Amino acid sequence: MSAAVSAAAARVGRLPRLSGLSWTGIVAVVAIVAVVPIVYSNNYILTVMITGGIVLILNTSWNFVLGIAGVWNFGQLAIYALGGYGAGLLMLHTGLPGWLCVILGGLIASGISVLLAFPTLRLYGIYTSLLTFSFASVVQFIIVNDGSGFSGGSFGLDTVDGLYPGLGARAQIHAYYWTVLALIVVATVVVARIRSSRLGIALQTIRDAPGFAAARGVNPLKYRIIAFAISGFIAGVAGGMYVSFNQSITPSVMGLTPMSIDVTMLVIGGLGTIAGPALGTTLLTIIQTSLVDYPGIQLTILGTILLLIVVFVPGGLVGLIARVKSRVSRWVSEGEGPARGG
Amino acid sequence: MSSSDLVAIVVTTIVFGSIYGLVSIGMTLIYGTLRILDMSQGSMVMVGGFVGWGILTVATWNPIVALIAAFVVTFVLGTFTELISVQPLMSRRGEIDFEMVTFITTFAVAIVLANLALQIFGPFQKNVPPLIHGGVSILGVHLDYHSMLMAFTSILLMIGLGLFLSRTRWGFAIRAVAQDLDAARLMGVPVGKLYPLTMGLASALAGIGGVFLGALYFASPTSGDLPLLTALIVVIFGGLGSLKGTLYAAYIIGLIQALAIVLVGTTWSLPILYGVILLVLIFRPYGLFGNPSEARL
Amino acid sequence: MNDVAPILDVRGLTAGYGDTVVVRDLSLRVQAGKCVVIIGPNGHGKSTLLRAVSGLMKPMAGEIWFDGERVDGEQAETIAHRGMVHIPQGDGLFADMTVEDNLLMGSFPKGSWKDRQATIERVFDLFPIVRDKRAQRARTLSGGERRLVGLGRGLMREGSILLIDEPSLGLAPVMIDNVYGAIRSIVEAHRTVLLVEENFTHIGEVADEVHVLETGSIVRSGSLEALMADRTVVETYLGVL
Repeated sequence: MSAAVSAAAARVGRLPRLSGLSWTGIVAVVAIVAVVPIVYSNNYILTVMITGGIVLILNTSWNFVLGIAGVWNFGQLAIYALGGYGAGLLMLHTGLPGWLCVILGGLIASGISVLLAFPTLRLYGIYTSLLTFSFASVVQFIIVNDGSGFSGGSFGLDTVDGLYPGLGARAQIHAYYWTVLALIVVATVVVARIRSSRLGIALQTIRDAPGFAAARGVNPLKYRIIAFAISGFIAGVAGGMYVSFNQSITPSVMGLTPMSIDVTMLVIGGLGTIAGPALGTTLLTIIQTSLVDYPGIQLTILGTILLLIVVFVPGGLVGLIARVKSRVSRWVSEGEGPARGG
Repeated sequence: MSSSDLVAIVVTTIVFGSIYGLVSIGMTLIYGTLRILDMSQGSMVMVGGFVGWGILTVATWNPIVALIAAFVVTFVLGTFTELISVQPLMSRRGEIDFEMVTFITTFAVAIVLANLALQIFGPFQKNVPPLIHGGVSILGVHLDYHSMLMAFTSILLMIGLGLFLSRTRWGFAIRAVAQDLDAARLMGVPVGKLYPLTMGLASALAGIGGVFLGALYFASPTSGDLPLLTALIVVIFGGLGSLKGTLYAAYIIGLIQALAIVLVGTTWSLPILYGVILLVLIFRPYGLFGNPSEARL
Repeated sequence: MNDVAPILDVRGLTAGYGDTVVVRDLSLRVQAGKCVVIIGPNGHGKSTLLRAVSGLMKPMAGEIWFDGERVDGEQAETIAHRGMVHIPQGDGLFADMTVEDNLLMGSFPKGSWKDRQATIERVFDLFPIVRDKRAQRARTLSGGERRLVGLGRGLMREGSILLIDEPSLGLAPVMIDNVYGAIRSIVEAHRTVLLVEENFTHIGEVADEVHVLETGSIVRSGSLEALMADRTVVETYLGVL
């Protein structure tokens, strides 16, 4: 039994102990991405990158509940949308500054996410996915059928000012670009830190060895609620960024199509890993963008890739890279020393 | 409540309950036998709708042809879906989270099918005519023949499925596999063939449902989404893998919807339904008849 | 050596789970019409041997020849169709099916299915208790009744060999007598039987040949009388008398 915990701890312990080279690499990638708008100021490409970045924030939050906490939550898109609607409505109806609206939107999403955490505790895996999936469908259904004008129904919210109403169009894009990049870094670091913290180890023990967790007095209720609160907040902030950048939000941000794309991104990157969401989101955004003129083919190809990856590449890209690395290092060490048995 | 309200509630319950049963029972059959939640079941309803459109609207052939064609097409498609999205994972059953992985792979098939339909037929809704036109009025409640035929056919097919499972050689095999896989193999049941055929059969029932639903709601690439959701709710409510539970759940959900539609109005029927189901699940986490260890098929 | 080709010929079989070898380099022949019994303590590979022979497990090494053809590596369902009947430990009954449906399931192979009603009557005649319980669900039966249904189900199709896994396991002594009475009637009908058992008290009624299995290998073979005459065998493997 304690093997499960030490295995979880070992898996967890790997991340913060990155070699200096890896840290340099990560900082370099972020720095290069940060200077893109200065050297290459194509508005279309920047818009695609910002939109992809917002999805990455959402995916980071989803990966936290789905991959790390192991709760089959398929309602995350509704949490994201509710954060967006919350922020957007505050921008429309109050005089609060945009950034505060985004944070409040995050808090609203976080609160609803916590409410969603309660029923999942009693349910077994596949029932959780059904329940949360149904929750997302209800949220979408209610908004689509809202005739009161409050949420704008299927046409979406009225135009909002967003975060940077004072800036010109070009400066706005740059400002959003850097804001989203900063949020990605913050969200990823937060999730990575949590994964290796007491909270993260508790969550992974509940996921992998629930009986052992219970025997050791790990209270699943407390930890799951914290996990849902944090992931809900990150998703809600992503929603707030969406409504700010697009100056509106419609119920089409939820539903089967965006959910299929996001799940594909997570699975292709590698569920439960830290780099997975970034790898998957980047790769799929590139594929989507290059196929933008063929919307039907785009999703057909995505679905096929999803199927192939799950069947043939368990663990996604991160798992694949790890296997290749270990094979190479084993091959190298076999070449150096006498062959080992086994 | 007036007597016409009462008639409306009874009729709506029977019509909704029967079609819900038909599109959900395949999902139960698949879960009971293969232990997977087949997310491509909604796509089969969608494909059935397009087959109905092609044969009734484009070719203007007999409705019987449409039903048979929908059965055949979705049977083949369901078999094929099993072969590409489930069969390759069978040998790794012990190492992976089989339910989660097949949830995703069948979902991937659903994505591909919906977008192939979008490629082939375009995004616009296609009109599917009712299988029979006309209707009658009972106590001021209009009853169209199409809905009556839909309920009748659904009930007939569900009885047929029951007889198939309890009387025929392959029906025995499906029940045996659902209860003890190794013992069934020792009896000589070829599991590698039985799994795809079970998924084909389940898909074909949803496909026939799709022809009827097509006339009620059009055929379009997204016309499988709502039936998928309904089927998920029915099976979760009845308890995964329990045929009896699925049937009860289908009619109970039909009744809740009928009450909501007649008494509150159509818009709020779905949210009310979800509310009721959420409440039930909080008190009975495995659904009405679900039991994690017993009662398979 | 016998001139007649054996029904079952196991050559150098090694089998196990993951990295653990349970049966190692085991060879065994079963001639038609004989009842061969393997006895040995729990956990020494008896069930593993049967599971490997019937195809529920893939052997790690060795060959299995059945009715003149090599069958190792084939799926259990294919081997079942060739006429091997394996009655697994703990019966393997379909718990939510009736006794009658359980028996009928035994006739699944196409050739047997059409004669199933006649066959089930013969099984009922052989085991009258089973006839009385025909409409009951298998999960409601007692352990002894379940065992009889399991044996009856094994007789529901034409088989050239019956593999029976510890029929006495967990039963009260009086029930063991009943079950062995049933097995004796099977053996007397000249069916070929390979039976594994931990308990040797009843095998004298049925065994033509006995092999003693220890840590995955056969360590002694012969008739039960010959083995019983050997004090070391009795003390080491069969337990103190």
